[in-house]
Amino acid sequence: MENTKNHAYQKELFDRLRKSQSLKRAEECFARVIKGASWWLLEKRKPSLQDVEEVICRKCPLEKGLQRRKIKKCAKNILGVITRAAEEKTIIKFDCEEGLHGFVSAIAQADKIYGYVGGCYRKKDISTQILQIFSAFLDTIIKEAQKEMELSKLYETLRPRAIALSTVHTVHRLISSTLDFNELLPRIARLSLQIMRAQRCSIKLVDSKRKVLLPKVTVDLRQKNIRLKKVRVGRWAPGKAVKFGRPIRGRDYLATPLIDEDVIGVITLYDKLDKKPFTTFDQEIMSTLAEQAVIAIKNAQLYKEQEKLTMGTIKSLAKVLDTRAPGTYIPRTSFVKIAMAIGQQMHMDEDELKSLEYASILHDAGEIFVPEEVLAKPAKLTGEEYEMVKEHPAAGVAIIKHMKALKSATPIILYHHENYDGSGYPKGLKKDMIPLGARIMAVVSAFEAMITKKPYRVAKTLGEATEEIKANAGTQFDPKVVEAFLKVLKKKDIRALLEKELYGPGRAA
Amino acid sequence: MDLAGLRKSNIHLKILRFFHENQASIDTPRGVATWIGEDRLKVKRALEDLVKLQILIAHRTTSTTGYSYTRDAKLISKIAKILEQSKPS
Repeated sequence: MENTKNHAYQKELFDRLRKSQSLKRAEECFARVIKGASWWLLEKRKPSLQDVEEVICRKCPLEKGLQRRKIKKCAKNILGVITRAAEEKTIIKFDCEEGLHGFVSAIAQADKIYGYVGGCYRKKDISTQILQIFSAFLDTIIKEAQKEMELSKLYETLRPRAIALSTVHTVHRLISSTLDFNELLPRIARLSLQIMRAQRCSIKLVDSKRKVLLPKVTVDLRQKNIRLKKVRVGRWAPGKAVKFGRPIRGRDYLATPLIDEDVIGVITLYDKLDKKPFTTFDQEIMSTLAEQAVIAIKNAQLYKEQEKLTMGTIKSLAKVLDTRAPGTYIPRTSFVKIAMAIGQQMHMDEDELKSLEYASILHDAGEIFVPEEVLAKPAKLTGEEYEMVKEHPAAGVAIIKHMKALKSATPIILYHHENYDGSGYPKGLKKDMIPLGARIMAVVSAFEAMITKKPYRVAKTLGEATEEIKANAGTQFDPKVVEAFLKVLKKKDIRALLEKELYGPGRAA
Repeated sequence: MDLAGLRKSNIHLKILRFFHENQASIDTPRGVATWIGEDRLKVKRALEDLVKLQILIAHRTTSTTGYSYTRDAKLISKIAKILEQSKPS
């Protein structure tokens, strides 16, 4: 093994020396001083007589006229000089059989000899001082070649690891950017497949009793239909990885546990694209990726819990408010869905949609401060009464302002009675100055008011209410929102839910 | 741009070579620009060209996009030929 390594090193060193510009320059430079000499490199540590014959003597300008016996004798002589150069590790001059002058120097570092460099076929003697300078030059060139080799080796070793590290960092960024559990797990699976160049990835999470692994996502690039199977903890590679809390690697599979304080699940990869086995390096990379996946999964779980808590709080608040006048403060699910669907039509992002959902539930919470007789008055409101009603958006904001999670919903609640033409309240904002959520809420809230039966008012039919919304597009409502609203209202599921909530099951408007 | 056209663009070839040699890599435009020593914005445009040609897969999120190499064996083989013919001197 060591010999093979040395041989490879020697070969590479010689290749570099052959291509070395520094050595070429040195040769050119010394060729002017040592006129007539030819240069050679001998690649073997212990060259044979034949090597010397082939590399040195057969290239001699006199070779054609020489007898075989003479060449052999000359080669033997030079081989003796080479052996001395190896022992003394210095540059040695020699005279060959034909009276030509030459020199040889070992290419060596410490005790190791990699080969020899020399010059030959010169008619005049070579100055020892010049050879000493050449020797010093040669030493520098060899060191330079060795340094280049070291750097190249370092580059070859470090670069793939640096790229792998960068990949892991990118994956971390990609998976940390989502808190949506349903989006996160498939993303982790796809990224794992990409990094490992594998065919299938399955993510399973441990159930609450810690006995079974529940399949959450499987991505198989070969099959369209995938059966998600439960696995007992301790069985198969995924089960064993969870039971023992360490990666389980086989030729065609790699199961990596997802470890937080305890094992929460497992990522299993199967069948590499190039059909090669999974390696220790793969295992290391997957373990790092799994550590990051756990953080992202825990964050998504915490976010989901936080969201449930916020929604629970909002619903409780609405319930408390609703006790005053049942049916007044809790909007029907269908209206929340309509608002959300309009938001999606208008390309709102996840956070904006969440705010819209919260605002849909609590937009009229401030009406609790308006006397019941004013809200329920069947006749036109007096100026004073109207002023009281106009206060309800600000009052609604006052109710929720201490709940940080609802902060983003406050502009929607505050401005949902603004009109598109600037004739609304509380600020008389116009067009795009009104937040999009508030413009959506204005349409949904008006629609809700029109079609909901109240003790003091007859409800409009769906058709009548829709026509009125259309008629007010551009004045009271944002025409684009109205357009989205009309599209949403045509959706079968939303229509069915709305009719069921308004008129009971099986009855249409 | 098509597959044949890639031969004429140095930056596209550099990106192809990077992903072909590091097929397990997923990286951002900034990362790829660092590895191949090119301007980030030019790299970003070239990455999107390669996505259109289905040579790269874009993993898009709100904050960044990660790019990774195709898994299509036939396409990889075609790219190998292009890279072989366009070897840097």
